[in-house]
Amino acid sequence: MSLMRNRKLLFVVFLITGLYTHINAQDDLLGILDQEQPNIVDYTSATFKMTRISYGHSIETRKKGILEIFVANRFWNIPDSKAQSFAADRLAARIALEYGVTDRFSMGFGGSNFDGLFDGYLKYKLVRQRKGGSPFSITLLQGGSYNSNAFPDATIQDDFSNRLSFTTQALIARKISSNFSLQVAPSFIHKGMVPSPIDPKNVFAVGFGGRYKLGGHVSVVSEYYYVTNPLESVDTYGPFSLGVNWEVGDLMLQFMLTNTRNMVEDTFIVQTPNNFNFRDPNLNFGFNATYVLHLKRKK
Amino acid sequence: MNKLIKFLFVFSFFTGIGQNSEQIIARQGQVSFFSYTSVENIKAENNQALSIIDFSNNKIAASMLMNAFIFEKALMKEHFNESYIESDIHPKATFEGEIIDFDASINGIQTKMVQGIFTLHGISKELEIKTDIDSSSGKFVLTGTFETFVKDYDIKVPPLLAGNIAKTISVTFRFEYEPYEK
Repeated sequence: MSLMRNRKLLFVVFLITGLYTHINAQDDLLGILDQEQPNIVDYTSATFKMTRISYGHSIETRKKGILEIFVANRFWNIPDSKAQSFAADRLAARIALEYGVTDRFSMGFGGSNFDGLFDGYLKYKLVRQRKGGSPFSITLLQGGSYNSNAFPDATIQDDFSNRLSFTTQALIARKISSNFSLQVAPSFIHKGMVPSPIDPKNVFAVGFGGRYKLGGHVSVVSEYYYVTNPLESVDTYGPFSLGVNWEVGDLMLQFMLTNTRNMVEDTFIVQTPNNFNFRDPNLNFGFNATYVLHLKRKK
Repeated sequence: MNKLIKFLFVFSFFTGIGQNSEQIIARQGQVSFFSYTSVENIKAENNQALSIIDFSNNKIAASMLMNAFIFEKALMKEHFNESYIESDIHPKATFEGEIIDFDASINGIQTKMVQGIFTLHGISKELEIKTDIDSSSGKFVLTGTFETFVKDYDIKVPPLLAGNIAKTISVTFRFEYEPYEK
C-alpha cells in the first residue's frame, strides 16, 4: 500500500516537472532571449547633449576626437534712442575651439571681443550616471582667463597675475526622465583684479540649470547663478537665461534671452551689472552655434 | 486507465526535456544598417544581437539593444539614441517569426523566406525576409538583407535633415548559431 502511494507521489512529481519544462520550452523564444541578454553597462547619455546649458557649462564633454567650433554672440540695444541702429546696437562675441581628448576629458580655448578676455578650460567627467549605478553625473571644470584690456586706472599695478582669473566648478546633474534634466553647479571664482579694495577677490556661487525636451531635436533650457558674496562696490546681479536649444545633425544652435553679455565664467557669474528685465540695455538676445567635426572616426 | 495516465506522465516529461536540445542560439549576431544619400552615408553596426531558432516548429526570434549600435561618428550615436530611436523608451528591436519550409536536416545552403513581426521604436510591422541558411560548416549560419522604410516606424526626421537620412534603410544580418543549453 505504501509502495503504491510512493509510486503515485512519484508520478505526480514527474507530471509537475514534465509540465513545467514543457511550458518553459514553449514558443516564447523572445522570452528566452530576454534572459540571455547580457547586461551591458549603459551610461545615461545626452543629459544636456550640448556642452553648455545656455551660457554656462553643462556636465557634457565631447567624445574623443571631436573638435567643436563654438561661436557665441550676444546682441543688445543701448538706451539712448539716437543709438537705435538696425537690429541691434551692440554685439559681444566669443569664438572658441573645444576638443575631446578622451571620451571623458575635453579642453577648450576662446577669445571674446567685448570684455577682451582670452580663456581656456579643462573639463573632466568624473562620475557618469547609469541605471543601477550612480544617480548623478559629476563633471569637474577648471577654467582660467586672461584679461587683455588696458587697465582704466593707471595706479593699478599691471601684473600678469592681476590679469588672470580662475573658475573651479563641480557640475552635478541628473537626467530625471528622458525629457528632463537638472544641474546644480557649486562654483568658486578667484578674480585677479576687482573694481575696489573692498570687493572680495574670492567669490562663491551656485548655479542651477535645467533642460526640458520638447521634441526629438528641440529643448527649452534655463539657467541661473546665485552669488553668495557679490562685489560690494558695484551692484551686480546673478546671470539668468531662458533659451531654446536646437540640434541639427552636426550643427547645434542655442537661442537665449539673458541679462549677461559676458561669456567667460569668472565675469558672467561675478560681474553681471544688470538685472533680467525687458528694459534696454538689460535684455540680451544670445545665439550660440556649435559645429561638430569628427576628426577621429571609428573604422 | 492507470497505464495510460502513466504513459502520459512519462511522455510529457520527455517531450519537455526533448525540446531544449532542438533550440539553437546566436549570441554575437551582427546586424548593420545603412542609409545612403548624396549628402551623407550613415552606417551602424551591432555585434551583440541575439537570435534563437526552435527546430521543432521552425520558429525564430531575434533581439538587439539599440544602444549597442556603433556609429562612425560618436555624435551620431547620441542623436540616434536620443532623438530618433528613443532608446530609453524603446531599448530593443525584436523579430519573431517562422522560417517557411525549413528542413534542418538538409546539409548545405538553403534559401528560405522568414516571415514574422519586426518591432522597432514601439511599432510592429509584418516582414518577409529572404534568408540564406548555411549548415555546411557544421554550424547553422543565417544571413540576409532587407529594406525598410523609416516612416513606417514613426521615426521623425526634421525637414532640415531630410536630405541626410535615406527614406529606405537597408539592413543586413549574420547570425552564427550553436546548440542552446539552459
